[in-house]
Amino acid sequence: MTELLIDPDIRVWVFLPIVLITFLVGIVRHYVSILISTQKKAEITQIQDSQAMIRARLLRENGKYLSAQSFSMRKNYFNNEETGYFKTQKRAPVAQNSSAMLTDMVKGNFINVLPMVVIGGWINWMFSGFVTTKVPFPLTLRFKPMLQRGVELASLDAAWVSSASWYFLNVFGLRSIYTLVLGENNHADQTQAQADAMTGAAMTMPQDPKAAFKAEWEALEITEYHNALKNIDADMLAIASAPAASS
Amino acid sequence: MNRVKTTQSKTGEIIAYSEGAIRNNISAVEYCRTSMAAISGCAAGILGLSGTLGFLFYFLSVFVLWILVLVKSGTQWRKFFINRRNLLTNQFMGGLCTYVLFWTFLYGMVHVY
Repeated sequence: MTELLIDPDIRVWVFLPIVLITFLVGIVRHYVSILISTQKKAEITQIQDSQAMIRARLLRENGKYLSAQSFSMRKNYFNNEETGYFKTQKRAPVAQNSSAMLTDMVKGNFINVLPMVVIGGWINWMFSGFVTTKVPFPLTLRFKPMLQRGVELASLDAAWVSSASWYFLNVFGLRSIYTLVLGENNHADQTQAQADAMTGAAMTMPQDPKAAFKAEWEALEITEYHNALKNIDADMLAIASAPAASS
Repeated sequence: MNRVKTTQSKTGEIIAYSEGAIRNNISAVEYCRTSMAAISGCAAGILGLSGTLGFLFYFLSVFVLWILVLVKSGTQWRKFFINRRNLLTNQFMGGLCTYVLFWTFLYGMVHVY
């Protein structure tokens, strides 16, 4: 079908501003997120319980390198019925409606969801009805409702992109550009993965410490001691004597 | 805490890698990959490539970047990366999204109006 003849002013006043607006909104969102985020204050009992959970997990996983007495002593420290750590520590469950969690949730919604709705609505109102560009590869009719939102022309080729769809293409396409511009720890990327560092694991504590203690207690109780270094002296002697036999 | 991951090479010896150093190297390669996708997308848009030629240009740029990274690390690539094939195929679709965006943008700026 024939090529469209588009007004050249659309490039300067519709096509380019949508790219600039989307990019700068991401930059502004990054700095607003930095300003608005407070230092997450972890309580000392929370850190203590997380460290205890990590120690118990390490004992379950690496206990085979200890001697039998060392393993039993550590297991008894955690699991003893009268004096064990998991039995004597009484923790109140973290309230679901605590003000800190609610404030964090409202901040997250304010930073992530609100700009997309406001800017998307404003762009839909300001640049309504424009055909902005053409995707440089052929597309089937299945892409037509996605790429030509706001422009209802049945005879138009599916490769043409309307202004509203161009905004959404920029929102999802500029995601990795923010990593280039803002560095690693940018907040403009909404799908940012959480770092899995050890200090990060110590900061997070499940909502119900009592249930977590009970689960860890059961897991440690059923863990049996297997000595990985049982015949280590005979194995080392065998390795030491093998090259002499070969030579 | 500096965690260490180990792999077993063909000769049977065990090589230990620092987790933080491996993550830093992969992060540097990701930075190069995103930059290369953006630059090659701009080039494809300005050149007016369309259809299959544009996607072949993306494959060419990914391959050239892979060759450049391996030439830079030289014969000691085993010191920096665990696997060479993963270096080529990681984050392929993410780079393609960046490439398609810049390709469409520059193609629209130059050839549509």
